[in-house]
Order: sequence, then C-alpha cells, then structure tokens
Amino acid sequence: MNVNELKTTAQLAMLDIPDPEKLAQAFTEMLENFSKMMEVDVEGLEPTTHALAQGNRLRNDTPRGTDESDALLARAPARKDRFFKIPNVL
Amino acid sequence: MYQSFIGLEIHIHLLTKTKAFCGCTSEFGAPPNTHICPVCLGYPGVLPAANEEAMRMSYMVAKILHCTLSPKCYFDRKNYFYPDMTKNYQISQFHDPVGRDGYFDIEVEGEHKRVRIHDVHLEEDAGKMIHSGKTSLCDYNRAGTSLLEIVTEPDLVTGKDAEAFIREFRRMVRHLGVCDGNMEEGSLRCDANVSINLQGQGLGTKTEVKNLNSARFVRKALEYEIKRQKRVLTKGEKVIQETRLWDGDNNVTAGMRTKEKAHDYRYFPEPDMPPFCPDDAFMAAVDERMVELPLAKKQRYLNDLKLSLDAAEFLVEDSKFCDLFEAALALESSEPKLVANWLCGDVQGQLKRADVSLEESHISAGRLNELVGLVESGKLLRGKAKEVIELIINDDKDPAVIVKEQGFEQVLDESQIDDWVKQAIDGNPQAVEQIQAGNKKTLSFLVGQVMRFSKGKADPKKATEKLEQALGL
Repeated sequence: MNVNELKTTAQLAMLDIPDPEKLAQAFTEMLENFSKMMEVDVEGLEPTTHALAQGNRLRNDTPRGTDESDALLARAPARKDRFFKIPNVL
Repeated sequence: MYQSFIGLEIHIHLLTKTKAFCGCTSEFGAPPNTHICPVCLGYPGVLPAANEEAMRMSYMVAKILHCTLSPKCYFDRKNYFYPDMTKNYQISQFHDPVGRDGYFDIEVEGEHKRVRIHDVHLEEDAGKMIHSGKTSLCDYNRAGTSLLEIVTEPDLVTGKDAEAFIREFRRMVRHLGVCDGNMEEGSLRCDANVSINLQGQGLGTKTEVKNLNSARFVRKALEYEIKRQKRVLTKGEKVIQETRLWDGDNNVTAGMRTKEKAHDYRYFPEPDMPPFCPDDAFMAAVDERMVELPLAKKQRYLNDLKLSLDAAEFLVEDSKFCDLFEAALALESSEPKLVANWLCGDVQGQLKRADVSLEESHISAGRLNELVGLVESGKLLRGKAKEVIELIINDDKDPAVIVKEQGFEQVLDESQIDDWVKQAIDGNPQAVEQIQAGNKKTLSFLVGQVMRFSKGKADPKKATEKLEQALGL
C-alpha cells in the first residue's frame, strides 16, 4: 500500500496517522497475508457475513413504553434546551 | 439533436408506528430529542432489530413495482461522518436489497410509459440539524425512522415524465397505505439524475438535482437542467458531474459546493443485523395487502364503470374516497356513476366546507347508498341533499332519519301539487296574462309560487311541467 492510499483511507475513517510511512509498510505486510488467503478457491461458497446470527430477528411495530430521553440528554457534553449542541459543521 | 435521460431516487417515510431498528415512536412534531434511545443514538453494545411492519411494507412496495423479491436480503453499513447520524454510519441495503429489476407504468398526456425500477431498499433516516452562529443543534427524533428508497433506471425523458411519475407513485403509496405521500412535509422526497447526449450515443455526464419538494418543482428543475446542459454542450464545454440544488425562488439550479473527492461509503454487511429471509407466512401477509394500482383502477373506472374522467381522477387521487366508493358499490347495486358524482360533488364539497376529513365524518358506504337511493326515488328533495350530507358529517344519523326529522321529504302526491298549481294560477292573473302573451320568463315566478305554497317540498321540475300543462304551453 502506498502512502497516499493510506492517507486517503485514514481520512475516510477520520483517523489521524502520526507516521504514515511506517504504517503503510505494516499495511503492505498485512495485505500480503490477505492476498495469500485470497488464493483459496471459494468458488460456489456463500460468503459468511454473520457467524452467529441465525434466523430472522424481527420486532413488533409497538412503541417501547419507557422514555430514556432525559437521561440520554443529561449525558451530552453540551446542550441547548433539548438539542445536542456541537460546533457548527456547515 | 440531444436526447435526455432522467432517473429518480425516491425516498418514502413508511407509516410505521416505530423506527426501523428500535422501539422509539416515529411520530413527528414532538419536542427535540424526545424519541431517542441508546439504539438510535448508536451507543456501544446496543443491538438493533428490524421492524417487522417496515419489512412487510418494503416487500409490499417492491412487489407492487414488479420487482424480483430477495429471498435473503442483507443490511449494509453506509459509512459517513456527519453529525446528523451519531453512529457515523447509516444502516442501509446495498448488495442484496429487498427488491430489484421491477417496473412502474405511468401515463403522460394520455400515453402509457413503462419505467424500469433498479431497486427498492430499506434504510434509516438521519436526524435534523439547525446551524446558527458558532454552533449546530442536533435533533435525533427522526434519526432511525424507516425510509424506503426506490431507484428508477434513467427511462424518463422529460420533466413532464418525471412529474407524472411522482404523481402516479404518490397515488400508489397512498393506496397501498405505506406512506402519506406528503412532499411538502418531506414524507416523500425525490432527487433526480439527469444527463443529455447526442442521439444514439447513450447516457451523458449526469448531474443530480436535489431540494425538489413538489412534483411541479421536479418538472421545472429538470426542464431547466436539460436546457442548461444543452447550452453547456452547444458551447463545446463539458457538463460537470455534480449535485445541484433547485432554487424555487429564482427557478434555477445551482451547483453545490462539494469536496473534490468522490464519496466512498465503504459499504460492508451490517454485523449487528442478520439477513432477513421472508417465509411463507410473511409473504402471505404481503400478498394480502396488495392493492389494485391506481392507474389500472382509473382505467377500470373509465372503461367499465363509465365514470367521467374528472370523477375517476378524483377518486384515484384520494384513496379514502376511493375505498368508500368501492365499499358503496360492493353493498348494493347502486349506479356507480351516481355514487361517484355525489362523492366528488357535494360530499367532498360539504366536507371541505365543514373542514372535516372523510374519516372523521359519519359518512359511510351504507349512508352514501341510502342518500343516493332517496334522491333517485324522489323521496328526498334534490336541493336538500346538501343539507342532509352536512348533517351526516357531524351527526351519527342515517339519511332517512335526517330527512324525516328535518321534513325534507319531497311531496310526491300529484293531486297536492295540482292544488298548489291551481292556487298559483288563480292568485296571479296578471302573470298568467303575461305568459300567455308570450313572456315565458314569468313562468318561473309561478313556479316560485308553487314552491312557496309547498314550503319547498314540491319538485320544481314537476311544478313547471304541471304549470305548462295547465296554461296550455
């Protein structure tokens, strides 16, 4: 992986990378291991997206009786009335 | 010559009681951050679960759009960083949505067009933000509510096509009962992709137009955008792929300031949500709620029931009136045309005047039929039908009862009417003279006299006939 690719990836994940050159080297090694795994023939096999999930997990369309909103709001670092307040992102 | 290609992305808010993946109510209008919980705020360790009704409605829409329904649909994470979602991702569907490869028929100026549907997928809506000064304020009441996205292929050609699509689509979701279709309030939203190219050269470079909150704006924005792209290409320049916002005040689209890098949402299977496999019972419930498409219904009303175009349009536009109409026809052998005319005439008019919705009123299929029957059999004065309707709207009473209580019965007794006619003629020799001298207008004066004697209970048509007879006209 070249450094620019890593920087783009880090930017997408909003990560601050202190030493991109060093990490790019580590990533390259990691990706080599993956490419080894890619050699395995998986033709006709369904990808395993969920190892543990079995069956449908559905919920009735019934409103939950409890209201935790005040407690959740109370945990916010900054508020204005009932709004969560953050720096202007526009 | 250039040709144009338009594809639509439509988002509808599903009419579920709760959000898509948690038990918060999805009702609007509450104070900010009232309907929030650890799941829709994306707290660590929470486990979302799909709303069964949202899944059902999603499959209903995919089915009515003739899609291939997924036997195993997956949820995916769409990663993006913006504080309208606290999780930094949106649960959506990408690789295996609810439905694919469908179509929807529309009618544009009397001509039928088939528009292919690329896919139908369920996702969650984001929260709302207010930006002011140094701060942004976040309200997550809407975050996590069920949003169904329908993506068409670029089969629409003109702004008119797109407007017709939106209108027909809105009718469909209302009839299906999955969305209220209100564009102004944002429960039905539409973005449009449009490109133009020289004839036979396929799709051009597209722009995406947003901020279209009415069907009319969709048309106007696309008409503008097609003209703009033509100007660009004619000058020998290139269309830039970008998102443009419709500015309804100035009737133009304007490029949005966007970051140079294209979005990369890095979709991957949502680990917290198992795939969903609809079973037979689920599909049976979906089938049970299928309805006749409004366009097909309109054709049936015109061709089989011989309704007027206005009446047919009115009924399919409002599914509540349409349901009442169908229920009235199912009850007994009322003449469909008469029932339809009463519905879109005085019933609608009186409801509007009373500012009462059809559901709130006491009008029912049975009462509607009864009213039509009373008028047709001559038992109710036609002129009083409006008042009867007004009374049924507010009072829980049958038309026959109201007619009796209010004394709205029409006098059908011929000899009684003859007496009034005689009285009118005898009492107004001057008027009779004028009529016989050729002034036919005076006849209406005598009709008025008969109506006065009868206290409005005679049939004016009958009175006119009898007066003409008596005067040898």
